[in-house]
Formats: sequence, C-alpha cells, structure tokens
Amino acid sequence: MSDTPELAALRSEVRGWLAANAPKGWREAYQQMSHAEFAEAQRDWFGKLVKGGYAVPHWPAEWPGGGRSLAEQKVLYEELASADCPRLLLSFVSTYHAAATLMECGTEAQKARYLPAILGGETWCQGFSEPGAGSDLASLKCKAERVSRPGGDVYVINGQKVWSTMAQYTDKCMLLVRTASDGPKQAGITFLILDMKAKGVDVRPINQIQGDQEYCEIFLDEVEVPVADRIGEEHAGWAVTSATLSAERGLTLMELSYRMRGAMRRIAALIRETGREDDRGILRDFGQLVARCDSTCAIADRFLENRMHDIERVGDASIVKNTYSRVLREYSLLGLRLGGMQEQYRHPITFGDLNTGNWMADFMNSYAWTIAAGSEEVQRNIIAERMLEMQREPKGWTT
Amino acid sequence: MDHVIELNELRDAVQKAFPADKLAAPRDAAWSLVAEQGWLMIGLPEDQGGLGLGRDAAVAIHFELGRVLAAAPLIPALLALEGIAASTSLADREGWIERICGGEYVPLNMLPGTVEDVGGTLSGRLSGFFEADMADHVLAGIAGQYLLIPTDAPGVSLIKRDLWDESRSLFDIELTGYRPDPALLVAEGETVKALHDRISPLAQLAIAADSLGGANAALEMTVEYLKTRRQFDRPIAMFQALKHRCADLKTHIAAAEALLWQRAGQLDASIADLGVAKALANECYMSTTEEAIQLHGGIGLTNEHNCHLFMKRAMLNAQLSGGGDHWREAAGRQALAQYAAA
Repeated sequence: MSDTPELAALRSEVRGWLAANAPKGWREAYQQMSHAEFAEAQRDWFGKLVKGGYAVPHWPAEWPGGGRSLAEQKVLYEELASADCPRLLLSFVSTYHAAATLMECGTEAQKARYLPAILGGETWCQGFSEPGAGSDLASLKCKAERVSRPGGDVYVINGQKVWSTMAQYTDKCMLLVRTASDGPKQAGITFLILDMKAKGVDVRPINQIQGDQEYCEIFLDEVEVPVADRIGEEHAGWAVTSATLSAERGLTLMELSYRMRGAMRRIAALIRETGREDDRGILRDFGQLVARCDSTCAIADRFLENRMHDIERVGDASIVKNTYSRVLREYSLLGLRLGGMQEQYRHPITFGDLNTGNWMADFMNSYAWTIAAGSEEVQRNIIAERMLEMQREPKGWTT
Repeated sequence: MDHVIELNELRDAVQKAFPADKLAAPRDAAWSLVAEQGWLMIGLPEDQGGLGLGRDAAVAIHFELGRVLAAAPLIPALLALEGIAASTSLADREGWIERICGGEYVPLNMLPGTVEDVGGTLSGRLSGFFEADMADHVLAGIAGQYLLIPTDAPGVSLIKRDLWDESRSLFDIELTGYRPDPALLVAEGETVKALHDRISPLAQLAIAADSLGGANAALEMTVEYLKTRRQFDRPIAMFQALKHRCADLKTHIAAAEALLWQRAGQLDASIADLGVAKALANECYMSTTEEAIQLHGGIGLTNEHNCHLFMKRAMLNAQLSGGGDHWREAAGRQALAQYAAA
C-alpha cells in the first residue's frame, strides 16, 4: 500500500532525522559492552528519541511526540526497522505497558506523577509472573497485607516474582499481589506500583543460556507500598492487567517482522561465504524461508490494517505472534545449518537484537518469542477456543 | 477500504451462487452459473467490454470457488481469455472475446506438453486441459506459439485422463499431423513471451486462491466434526492435542492468505514472488487436508465423506503451473541476488 502525501512527508522527515541521529556502529558497540553499559546506551537512545519527538507516538496528543495515528506509528516503526536502529528494550514496558495502565486506570495524581517521569527516562518493569504462576497467571501467590502506619496505610508484601525484563535497571514495577485468597483466584488480586529502591526489594538477574541477562527474579521481603500507589480498587487488579496487556498489539511484531526480512541479507551472505550459491537444496530452503518471512510481514501488516479499521478479531494477535516466532526459529536454524561447525565456537553476543548473525545465540534467543508474552501453547488455545470455537476443557480438575 | 468492501461483496456473491453446503456441484450447471454471473469478464478491460477489476477480484472468486471444490473451470478459461484479449495476431479477436464472455468455454493447458513441428504440421501430446469435453476450441501454449485448436479438427483427438481428483476432469490432446489454422494463431515469435508473462502471474494467483479457499473449507469442516464427535463423554474438540493442531493449521493458512492478498495487489511482484506464494498456498492445502483425514479418523477414509475430495484437489493443485521445488528455488535465487555480494 502506498503512502498518502501526509504519511510520505512523515516518512521522509523520520528518515532524515534517523540519518542524523541514529546510533552508528551500535552492533559492534553492543557486542563489546557490559550489560550495564548496554542499559546506559539504551537510555541515551531513548533520550534522543524523546527529543526528536519519536519516543511515544502512541501517547495522546497533549504529550510531546504523541497523538500519532496508527498509520503514522507504522511509518515510524518501518523506518526504525529499515534504518536498522537499536530497539528500545529498556523503555518498552514503561512507554507502553505502564503508560497504558496509568492512562486507563490510574488516578489523576498517579498520572501527573509518573507519566512525565517516564518521558524523563524513568523505567518500569512488570512484576506479574511467579515461579508457580506462568501461563496460569491468576494463581499468583505474592502476598500483600494492608497495615496501618502513622503516615497512612501501606501494603506489606512478601513473595517472589520472575521473568521481569531488565528489572535490574528499572525504577518502578507494576506489581500484582494477592490481597485475598477466598473466592475465585482472579478476585483477590491487587495492582500496585512498586518503587524498586524500596527496602526489602532484591533483584537478581537470571543468567540465560546464551549469556544475556535480560530477565530477573524479584524477591520481596516485608516491602511496604503506600496505598496511594495502588492502581484500581483493592482486589480489582485483574481487570487492570487487561489494560496493561493490551497496551501493545501489533506494532512490535510488525517492526520485528520487517527487521527479520532485512536480516535475510545475513543468510544470503552466509550462502556466499560457504559457497552454496548453486546448492539447490539450500536455495529452496532459503526461498521458503523468505516466503515465510514475507507472509509474516504480510499478516502483521494486515493485522494493523484491521486494527486501524476496528475489525480485529479475537485470536488475530495470537496468529501473528505464533507466525513470527516460528519463522524466527526457522531463520536461526537455517543460519545454524549453513554456519556449520563454525557456529559451535562461541562468538560475542549482541545485546538487544534477535537477528544478530550469531546463529547459536539467535537460535536460543528465538525462544523468547515462543515462550514469553503468552506461550505458543497458550496462543494456540486462544486460537482454537476463541476463534475456532472449540469447546473448553471443564474447569476444576484436581489431583 | 472501499476496495476491500467491493471484494467482500464479490465474495458474498460467489457464496450465494455456490453455497458452502453443496460441494463439487455438477459441472455444466455450475459453468452456466459462472458465465451468468459475469465472472468471465471481471479482469477484461472496460474498453474490451469487461469489468476492468483488479487481479484481486479474480483471486476473490477463485478463493470462494475453491472453498466449494467448484467443478466449473474458471481458472483455465480466464487464463485463455487473458491471452486471447492480448493477442495482436488473432483474426476476429473481438468475436472470440465476446463468445468467451458469453460462456463459450476455451481452456488454456495447465501442464507442459511436447509437440513437434514437421513441415507445418504438428504432432505430439499436450496435457492439462480441464473439462475439455465442454470445449469446441482449446488454447494451447506450446514451444514458440500460442494457438487455438478446434477439438474436432482432423488430426486432433481428445483423451480423457483418469484423475484421483474427482472434482475436476482433465484431458490430453493428441495431435497427429494437425495443420494449424493461421486464423487461429494467438501469438508467435517475440509476442509469445509477452503473453506468457501476462498469463503466468494470474495462473499462480488463481491456483493459490483455489488452494487457500479449499484449505479454509477443509479446516472448517474438520473443526466442525471435532466439535460434534463425542468420545470419552465429551466432544473431542476439548482435547488440547487436537486443538493445537487445528490452531497451527489456522495460523499457517492465515499467513499464506495474507501473503496471497498482498501479492495480488502488488503489480510489481515478480513471477518468483507469485510462484512461491502459490507454493506456500499449496503446502497449506496439502498439510490441512492431510491432517483433516487424520483428525476425522476412520470416517475420513470413506468415500462418502468429503475429506478425500479436498485432499485430492490439494495434491493436483500442487502440480499445476510449476511445482513447489521449482518456485522455492526461484525465490531463493531471487533473494540471493537481492542481497548482492558486498
């Protein structure tokens, strides 16, 4: 689909800005640095985007850089992908999930306090999953008790959270806690804003199999959160999470699909390096992969189009996610096959990118997309039960 | 968006004419209906008496006809019409266009053949003419030319080939010293390639559309079966092992379909782009129908059940207008060239 004159103008404006401001040579730099330095580099890039007016296109118009239509946001992300800029990992949860939650469910005081801070660089993580509550999130157990204090009531929290993205560098956390254990499990959950510097918060990065530390465990020992930092009513946190989880639906997968298409150049280069240009088996598999990648871009595009016209169906997002994550796996596997033994020697990883050309690392990283943000299996259930309307299993199974 | 609405209306019209519960409706009546609906005219430019719709309009119709395993051979008819309408040598071209749009069936061959030219007469065998028993003429694409051949001319014999696919019938044409009629020459020499380049993209899109329409219908039929079939005191659709397989099929089909619609609208898509989209569609159709039989269990192996009709059509579609391996390799070469050596 071709751009309207307005979108074309935006595209060329963004392209010009990126040519002048996008970090150059970041791939090499992101390989040399420590994880903490990577977080710093992410802060710098976010700061630049805020200044340029491109950090929060999805926020309402009263915010600098906000008020962009979905079509305009799409142009922006297409350009970020085609310029091969670093992705914003550290500020992703704050600008999307935290912001959407605050805007939809926060009090005026909470919005006034936290939203400007996000634009100023304050970062957030998500404290949802627990060791015993993954796909079955509502069974979470992290306990909060309301206690009176001279300065006002607080929740005293004890428990553990896990898989919090880049929590070791974040300032705030969207924390789901259990405030009641009688009645349905969804009904006793409360949504809190946790200050990561509060006493009793212990963040431990998880060492991942490819050498990254993108996720953390958070241990909470007698941590106090003021009642003023509760979003929504007590016990009514489950409804708030739907604002959080529906914050970002489509742009990221579109951007990632386009980036994966651009990364086909890595496979092409590898085919040449390994002298397989006339290997028909390899060419077929490459052709198949490119077609699968193009179909991923096409369905991500179509999904966004449907959203723009309000004709999104339940399950559409799951289809896009499962398509992307599988093709990403296939991409890394073809790279591994072509790379052969060479890829079994350890090379430095590049933080924050899924298509680095370090094929073992890319392969291991691709699991992030089949497991995180609703596993492939959970998405299949959504597609089967809510889109194909296959009957649900009866609830209440006990051992 | 107006365009999408227009396409949806067209799809609704096909669904109305060919209801989903009547699979593989009898051919002759189906063909008359196709002609009556004006679908032969959709792609033809308005100044040639057609509707001048984009190629996604034809895709929409082929998709819906694929859903019901249509016996009406719209694909080879539209491909032949495309060639005839673009011909610069055919005598009475306008007359041919008018007759075809009015429902005279002229198919293009969908498979390669070998023919020898000996002193101006042709001998050999041509394959891939669908429903040629309905045709007084066929359009044959043979090395070096496109020509219309009367099916009852001396030296021309029609041979019906027995197909596994029961939703269609396919014919060979045996030529023995057939002397071509110069008035029926559609293209020769330089114009052959130009004609081929016009027809081939439409063939890829059409077969992809038929395949994905069929894949969708086969999946819907399967899901419906799982929802009603009871074992262990519950509908077997409740079993996650079956749900996940259906969800994966739905996901594959949806992605291949998104690519098809996108490429239908991209007039600059290369033939490799279209061919590999077709290969992906074929693959979806084959894997969906393969799973459909398994998920139906024993009933899926019976001739009374419709499962096998979809599976057999899927297998035949995969052989038309270039196989999957050919197009995957072409797409691989194209992508390799796209990222030229640094």
